[in-house]
This record gives sequence, C-alpha cells and structure tokens, in this order.
Amino acid sequence: MSDLAIAAPVAAPAKARLHIPPGVAIGLGWILLMLAVAFLADIISPYGYTALDLRNRLSPPIGFGGVWAHPLGTDELGRDVLSRLIHSIRMSLLIAFGATIIGAAFGTTMGFLAAHFRGLVEQAVLALVDFSAALPFLILALAVLAFFGNSLWLFIVLLGFHAWERYARIARGLAISAGAQGYAAAVRQLGARPLRVYARHILPNIASTLIISMTLAFPEVILLESGLSFLGLGVQPPATSLGNMVGYGREYLTRAPWILLAPAFTIILTTLAISIVGDWLRDKLDPTLR
Amino acid sequence: MRNTPLLQARDLVRRYGMRRGLLGRSVDITAVAGVSLTLERGRTLGLVGESGCGKSTTGRMVLGLETPDAGSVEFEGRIMPPPGTAAWRAMRARMQMVFQDPLGALDRRMNVAAQIAEPLEIHGIGDAAARAARVEALLRNVGLRPDQALRYPHELSGGQRQRVVMARALATEPALLVCDEPISALDVSIQAQVMNLLVELQAEHGMAVLFISHDLRAVRQVSERVAVMYLGTIVEEGTPDALLHDAQHPYTRALVSAIPHPGRGGNRIVLQGDPPNPAARPSGCPFHPRCPVAVARCSTEAPSLRDHPDGRRVACHLAEPAAIAKAA
Amino acid sequence: MLRYLATRLLRALLTIAMVVTFAFVVLRLSGDPALLIMSVDAPPEAVEAFRTAWGLDESLWVQYVKYFNAILHGDLGRSMRDGRDAIQLVAERIPATLALTLPALAIKIGIGVPAGIYAALHRNSLTDRVVMTLAVMGFTVPSFVLGLLLVLVFAVQLGWLPSGGDGTWRHAVLPVVTLGVGGAAVLARFTRSAMLEVLGQPYIRTASAKGVPWHAVVRGHALPNAAIPTVTIVGFMVGSLIAGAVVVESVFSWPGVGRLLVVAVANRDLAVVQCILLLVAITMVSSNFVVDLLYGALDPRLRQSRAGGAG
Repeated sequence: MSDLAIAAPVAAPAKARLHIPPGVAIGLGWILLMLAVAFLADIISPYGYTALDLRNRLSPPIGFGGVWAHPLGTDELGRDVLSRLIHSIRMSLLIAFGATIIGAAFGTTMGFLAAHFRGLVEQAVLALVDFSAALPFLILALAVLAFFGNSLWLFIVLLGFHAWERYARIARGLAISAGAQGYAAAVRQLGARPLRVYARHILPNIASTLIISMTLAFPEVILLESGLSFLGLGVQPPATSLGNMVGYGREYLTRAPWILLAPAFTIILTTLAISIVGDWLRDKLDPTLR
Repeated sequence: MRNTPLLQARDLVRRYGMRRGLLGRSVDITAVAGVSLTLERGRTLGLVGESGCGKSTTGRMVLGLETPDAGSVEFEGRIMPPPGTAAWRAMRARMQMVFQDPLGALDRRMNVAAQIAEPLEIHGIGDAAARAARVEALLRNVGLRPDQALRYPHELSGGQRQRVVMARALATEPALLVCDEPISALDVSIQAQVMNLLVELQAEHGMAVLFISHDLRAVRQVSERVAVMYLGTIVEEGTPDALLHDAQHPYTRALVSAIPHPGRGGNRIVLQGDPPNPAARPSGCPFHPRCPVAVARCSTEAPSLRDHPDGRRVACHLAEPAAIAKAA
Repeated sequence: MLRYLATRLLRALLTIAMVVTFAFVVLRLSGDPALLIMSVDAPPEAVEAFRTAWGLDESLWVQYVKYFNAILHGDLGRSMRDGRDAIQLVAERIPATLALTLPALAIKIGIGVPAGIYAALHRNSLTDRVVMTLAVMGFTVPSFVLGLLLVLVFAVQLGWLPSGGDGTWRHAVLPVVTLGVGGAAVLARFTRSAMLEVLGQPYIRTASAKGVPWHAVVRGHALPNAAIPTVTIVGFMVGSLIAGAVVVESVFSWPGVGRLLVVAVANRDLAVVQCILLLVAITMVSSNFVVDLLYGALDPRLRQSRAGGAG
C-alpha cells in the first residue's frame, strides 16, 4: 500500500480538467440566462407585469402578426407576455431556490440530529421519513394548503419540505460513517463540541453530495410550484409565476395559445437544463449517489 | 499529587451487545474482561496482543472515549467524567490519541496548519498570533517543512500525515498520548522514522505514552514496560527484556518465538486450536484450549494476575510466584 | 419470514397512524374550523351550535381520542359544504379516477419497462439515445403542459378528440395518454439504470464468461435482479392510482378524486380533504407493504437481513 496509491484517487477529481459535453454546456448557458433574467427582471422587462395596454389586447407574437411593442404578444387584458414571463421566471426561481435551500437545511439538520443522538431521536426521524415517503408530496401540499390557506411564504416553506427526507438520509448516513471512525471521531476526541464537529468538519465534507442532491431536487420543486400554481392553489394573482401563467393561458388556449406556450416552454427548458447539468454533475463528482 | 500515578485503570470491563435480528436475543461479547494498568508520568507502557484481544478498546476506555461497563479510570487522580460532558471535553487537552489510519483521522477539506491549530482553538489557548507560532513550532518539531503547512492531507505521504496527526495531538501539551497501532498502516521504510520521532517527541515533551500494537518488536523499542493481552485480559506484564528473554506465560512465549530471528531456527512455538473468539470465552484460563502446557486446573479456574518478586505480573497457574521460588 | 412480515406490518400501521395524527394536528393548527366554515357575520349561537355538533368545544386530547376513534370506525366526517358523508363523496369519484389511472398504468409498464430493458441491452446505440432523450423529456415536461399541448394539437387543431369532460371512451384518451407517457418515461429511465447496474455486476460477467448464451444470462440473471428496484417504483405508481391524476383530471375537467381534492382544497372542505389524505396514505402504505413482500419473494437474502437491518 504505497502512499501514492492512496493519494491518487482523492487528488484526481480535483485536478482533472473537466470536459463539458455540448448538451451540458447548452444547459449551463440556459441556466445562466434564466438567472440573469431573474436578477435583472426590473431592468430588462419592457413593461410592468400588471401594466395594461387596452389597445393591444390578445396581440399575437412577432411572426404571427404581432407588433414590435409586444414581442411575445399580449393577453386578454393587454398585458405584455414578455414582461409577465420575465417576472414569472424571477418568481418561480425565487420560490424554487428558497424551497430547495429550506429543504436541504431542514433535511440535513434532521439527518445530523438522528446521527448524533441515535436511539429515540433517530427512530423519530426515520418514522418521519417513512411518513414523507407514504404520501405523494403533491397530496400533502394540497392538504396543507387546504388547512392553512395560502401565502407566498407558507408556500415556499411548504415546498421546502419536498425531498427533505433525501437530505436527511444522506446526511445521517454520511455523518454516522464519519463519526464511527475517522476525522469526526478524531475531532471529537480533541474536545470539540458537537456543533463544531458538524458545522466545521462534517458539513464541508458532505457539501458536494448535498449540492448535487439539491441540483437534482431543484427541477422537481419548479414542477411542483408550477403544478400547484396551475391549479390555482400556489402563487396567487396579481403575483405571477410560470405555472400561474400557464393556468391563466389555458382559458385562451384556442384564441391565444402564445400566452400559455411561452411559460410552458420556459418551464420545460429550465427543468431540462437543470436536470441535464445535475445528472452530469452527479456522474462526474459522486457516482455513488443514485 | 506526585505520588498518584498519571493514569490508573482498575478492572476495566467492556461488553458489546450483538443483536441477531430486530427482535432477536442479544449476544454479549466481552471485549475487555477485567484489565488493570498503571502508567506513571513520562513513562511508556506497551500493550501487545493479536487483533480482537481488546487492546484498542482498552486504549479507548483509558482515554474516556468509551465508558467501561465495570471498573474505573483515574487520570491525574480524578475519575474520568462521562463522554461528551464539559469536564470530559476540557480533559481532552491533557490526553490525546494517535490513530492507525492518519488519512482517516484528518479532515481532507482542511489544510494541515488549520488542523494542527484546531485543538488550540477548541481549548481557547493563545491568540491567533500565538497559535500560528505554535503551529510553526510543532511542524518543525515533527519534521515537516513550513511550506507544507498549507497542504491538504491527500497531498502528503502516509508518514507525513502521521506526523501531522502527532503534531495535532501534541498541540495542547498533553500528559498522556495513546498511540493505537500508529505505524501499522505505514510502509516498512517509514515505520522506523515514525518510531524514532515518537521517542524524540517524548524526550522533548515529556508525555506518558500508551503504545498499542500487535508487534512485540515495535512495542519493545519504545516501552519501559510491556503488557501482553489475550482475549480481553492481561496475561503478563513486565519489562521488555524480561518478557523477551524469560517469558513466563505460555502465550508470551509463543509471541516471542514468533519474532523472526536469523540466528534461531526450528524452535518456534506454533499455537494449536482455533483463534480466540470473544463471543465464546472458554471457562477457566482463556488461553487453556490453545496452551501447550495446560493442566486440568486451567480449564476450571481462571488464574489471576499475580505480582512476582522480579516486578513482573503473570496470570498463569504454572507460573505462580511460589512455584518459581521453589524452582529457584 | 414471519418476523419480517410483522415488522413491516407494524411500520405500515405506524405510518398510517402518523398520517391520521398529521391530519388532526394540521386541522387544529389551521384555526377554528367553525369560523372557517361559517360566514363572518353568522350569529354567535349558530357558531356555538356548530362547535358542539363537531365536538370542537372539548379539550384537544379528548378531541384527538375521539377523532382517532371515529376514523377507526370508518367515520371520516361530513363534507362541511353539503353535509354528505365525506367517504361517500370520495367513493363516488374513485371509479372515474381508476378509469384513467389503470389504463395509464398499463401504458407505463407496457412501454416503460421494455423500453428501459432494450435501451440498457443496446447501450449507447441510437435507440438508447432516443429512448433516454424521450425519457428525460417525459420527466421535465409537466403533465399539465403535456396535456394542454395534446389538447392544442388533437382537440383544437385536428379536432379528433374532445378537449375535456367525460362520457365516452374518447374523452379518456387524452388524459390517459398524458398520464401514461410521463410515467413511462420515468419507468424507462429507472429500468434502464437498474439493468445497467445489474449488467455491470461480476456474476453477470462470470455467467457470460462461462459460456452461458447471452439471452439466457439476461433472462436468468439480469432481469430478475433488475426487477427488484423496478418493482419499488411500480409499487409507488400503484400506490398513486387513487391520487396520481390530480393535475391531469383538472386539465381535462375529469370528475375523479383528484378534481374533487382540488375543489375541496379551494373551498377548504376539510372533511373531504382529510378523507382523501387518508385514502391515499392507506393505498400507498398497502402497496409499499406488498412491494416489501415481493422483495422477499424476489430476493430471499432480504428476508433475513432486512428484518434485522430495518431496525
């Protein structure tokens, strides 16, 4: 067992230059574009997302007889589809980011608690994991929305509970194996408090796995958000999100399909891009994760 | 205060429950079955035995990482507090550990200097500048270059990693260092270097060392006293010379004869029978099923560890102090 | 094996009990149901009468015990809107939902599993790439978008099929396809990776190195082993037969359980919501239970080790 043999597999992923396949590059490009749109929404959107243009109602996009004032057309009230789309992207990404981070933070914390206390706490966490697995999340979310009514913050927190059990499982498993032998046990016997062990040592060591899981869960959250908003139970007007726009556009499916198609394709492309990049990241960095 | 030994462990017992199935009966495995040992300040005690004999568990109990099921550990005259308590954590500054697998014991996402400084941060020793100076001194102490301070564990060799682990362990100037198989994961060529470093560090820092190994030769090199463990008990304890040249316990004799020796051939003692199984401890003397000289009494009555006039301790019916005195 | 069964059964019952508790806790946390139901200007006596009728004026623990007891006796409350038994209201909708989800399940398994196996056996071929691209698309296209696109093409543009409602089998075609395609994609992707995992195992290489014909290796070793993870996801699909069509039913105005749920949520008709919640949980847990049993049948090793490892 030479030292080189031990060091090589650890050093390799850090040093090997990443070759990015074209599909992934396009995906990354689309994600960057969406992020830019979300950040610059107020600057780049030509109109306010509730601004009415009553002279140009149901105006089609350019190329289908539309006017340059509204490149993607307008809806029944003469609201600019492009401006609404830009603000919807911001809203949907905001919700998805917020929810993903909440889910990861909550799940990781629960996983660490289970790993640290073992015994009853662990059994309780595992029972909660079972519970989460027993219900399709959409049904659970609908039930909570029925009971609590709707507000944007509740909605984000609610979506945050999607996939929390995945992070909990990962965090618990990795923390237990780190604590049984190895660096975490070593730091503990230096006299470190548990908080230090988890925050300064275990968390950085499992961060890459968690981040990959977040990338894989992110498109699911976007789909959930848009699904619930489509049903009219998510983001409420006058606020707008991608799913909300599709739901609204559905009424004009025959007369003005562009209202629906613009956000629909944005959803598809965004989830597709993140899925491709997420799969690629997983295969590249953490093949053990499945 | 000076009269009390640094470390005194009395009759340590550790059992592990092994569950068979969710509702199955639990089978107790006795890893350590009544071990007592004493370690004076600045001295070195070697603990030898084959894998599974409970030597590592003993080391972990001595450090307070595991709570014994029976028996007690006193360190600097105080009873070991339960693991995880504030008193226990504070005590970590006084007792440290060197691990078998240095790569596993180091955080691969932290550079070497940060890891050596960590015990200082944890125990609130010195300010940032003092810590940096201390880290630099420790690095020099263990024979690493200052430019290696910012390296990560995977960028170092196995021997260098073990040096980092030692530097970290010594950062708080502990009074006790437990080394659990510190060289067995290293290349043979590196082993001697690390052993020598350990001796040098002890001379400079003056800590007591509990050196755990399966290798009698390595233990003898660094220890003033050596204890031989078999199946959870100490069977013989004495100076390295006494054990090597005049072993009293048959198991010790077998261990000694297993050391390759160019000048001596043919008279190796090959042990009979199955290797020991902690889940099914034999009655009487734990060694009797494999013992070449066992008598009827050995299978019914467990021998106790008795002091001999020459300062050693032996647990064997055939090596009673009286018997020896008569023979002599 | 008996102990394994008992453990799984216990866990299943515990999970259902947790769902019941969840429904209760969330229901009570959400505020005063009496005020939610009655209009703001309802006379106080009416609100009080409502509270007594629903047992809302007793302590939480008493309510909880009563609630649990009622559910054990199959009493899931009445719809707060029209006063009918919630369970009856839901039961009426189940056939309509099954009329969509059962054919969809057949499509998922009928297309998804063979496509996944074929793609795995012909890894990196053109077919594999096409299947995988479609599978990724199937996952990333939300069902409401797919449904509306199908409506746009087949109902609005071509006029072949109705865009929504119920009555004839023609009404069911688009929703069934919408449901089936998405699920088939997920299943294909899953089956493929399960197959690839198995095909990479040493025993497969050993078998083919020994000279066993490839088709026999696939049939005798690869398929049974790849079936284990695939059964899990199929179990999940079976478990969501009742409530797996929430969005699609809404898109096509299909009068099933999902549509009922959405309307009940919008109206905050809590009895109906909790009834569906329990129904879904029971379906899901039972199907997971059956999957666990199948696991035991497919992989005899699990009978022993799982009983211990589940702990």
